[in-house]
Amino acid sequence: MLTLIKREIEDAIVLVLGAVIFTAIVITVWVSCVYRGMSVLNIGSWPTAAFIFTIICCVMGIWQMRTDRTKKISSFLLTLPVTRRRILIARIITGFLVILLVLVPITITALVLLQRFGPPIPLYKDFFLDIFVATFLMSFACYCIGLHNGWSSGKIASTLGSLLLTLIFLPLVIIKGISPQALVIVSLFIAALLIRTWQKFMTTSL
Amino acid sequence: MNDDVIKIENLTKFFEGRCVLDGVNLNVPRGCIYGLLGRNGAGKTTIIRILLGLESPTRGKTYLYDSDSANLSAKLKGKIGYVAEAHNLIQNYRVGRLVSLCKSLSSKWNQEFFDHLLQTFRLPMDRKVSQLSTGMRAQLNLALAMARDPELLILDDPTLGLDTVARRQFLELAIDLLQKDGRTILFSSHILSDVERIADRIGILVAGKLVVDCTLEELKNRVKKLRLIFSEQAPQNLHLTEIINQQMQDRELVVTIANYSPQKQAVIDTFKPVTCTEMPMTLEDIFIECTKTEPLPLTVET
Repeated sequence: MLTLIKREIEDAIVLVLGAVIFTAIVITVWVSCVYRGMSVLNIGSWPTAAFIFTIICCVMGIWQMRTDRTKKISSFLLTLPVTRRRILIARIITGFLVILLVLVPITITALVLLQRFGPPIPLYKDFFLDIFVATFLMSFACYCIGLHNGWSSGKIASTLGSLLLTLIFLPLVIIKGISPQALVIVSLFIAALLIRTWQKFMTTSL
Repeated sequence: MNDDVIKIENLTKFFEGRCVLDGVNLNVPRGCIYGLLGRNGAGKTTIIRILLGLESPTRGKTYLYDSDSANLSAKLKGKIGYVAEAHNLIQNYRVGRLVSLCKSLSSKWNQEFFDHLLQTFRLPMDRKVSQLSTGMRAQLNLALAMARDPELLILDDPTLGLDTVARRQFLELAIDLLQKDGRTILFSSHILSDVERIADRIGILVAGKLVVDCTLEELKNRVKKLRLIFSEQAPQNLHLTEIINQQMQDRELVVTIANYSPQKQAVIDTFKPVTCTEMPMTLEDIFIECTKTEPLPLTVET
């Protein structure tokens, strides 16, 4: 499994590096803003950064699946002692890790900045945790949209379909707010996408 | 567990409404080199892909080591080596990276043998797979499959694109592998002289149907080409069933008969030919005769 995860990371190295650069940019912007005297809570880049990141996650899902189809990667891997189940699990774990790679440092930075420069109100700490969970679930949901649609046969249709679904899905969560109900809906949406992707991946001719 | 490494039961496959495989039944026992023959589009690759779980059947079942092809475990796959027709290697990888990936994913890896193959084939480790010639890709694919020391080797037209020397090297490797106990090879090829050289059992697919399944020796005994000379004009009809091909010129009649038997010879003798000479047939001759006519009059022996 580790070899398969390593292979997935190496293949998507451009996107992994892009995610690292994105994290570095977000942290740098926040730190510099705070040191220039702006309030931690007034930083308007929060939703923008989350939005850009969810799009990156969607593209990553599409990228992984499309590369697999065009380069016939699974077709080759299946001639080795590897099963379809392992290939897909390794792929999903890779996406999961990349999302954490971005969100964990950003959240830690946000918490540190809040503790040092924010108003001493405990409510805000929970608020940040909620944002972390919500952003994680939304990013993962968009990643799953990418995985699901990337396995479809039409290149342009799958890319546009994924982006459209992401653009519809994100405002719904933002308008509805980060309530427990919304998170349950997002979790169910993720589960449905993963089951469908699993079903398609396990039965498609390779 | 029985002794059949490969078991195919009533395998049927449709592609967009077109029947590619039509109720194929086939068993390959342990230690057998099975040559699967057929013209382009006969269904050889489809059978192999279904066996490996890369394609799903419309009807029927296929088993490898008694395990359903649709659910082959990683452990079981470790026993199988596969060389694909189109040499489906990951094109954007360098040879070295591909080798290292295969090595880490394989349960068994014979590095010494692999190094020997690399030297024999002179494969460059630093080049991208897409930059290799078809022949080199075939050699790399074969080396990767052989280094895993497989108990079952499935070769889908492996010598396609290889030059004469490389083809000979490949056949010698296959024979080397067979000398190890219990190794089984399923081998599909268009180069019939190769199949004739190494296969001990033959299957011929015609339009998705397995029309021949027997040993090479038996096939040669069952299909006979006779040259009959008559004292007068040769008869138009020998009143025999299962005539694959017949050519008549004045007093001479050349006839190819399937499922030849002394009874059929007795029927021929009633026409009182002056001479009746058996013409030697290679596997290629038999294959051409068998696939020329449809439906084929040969009966399947299981």
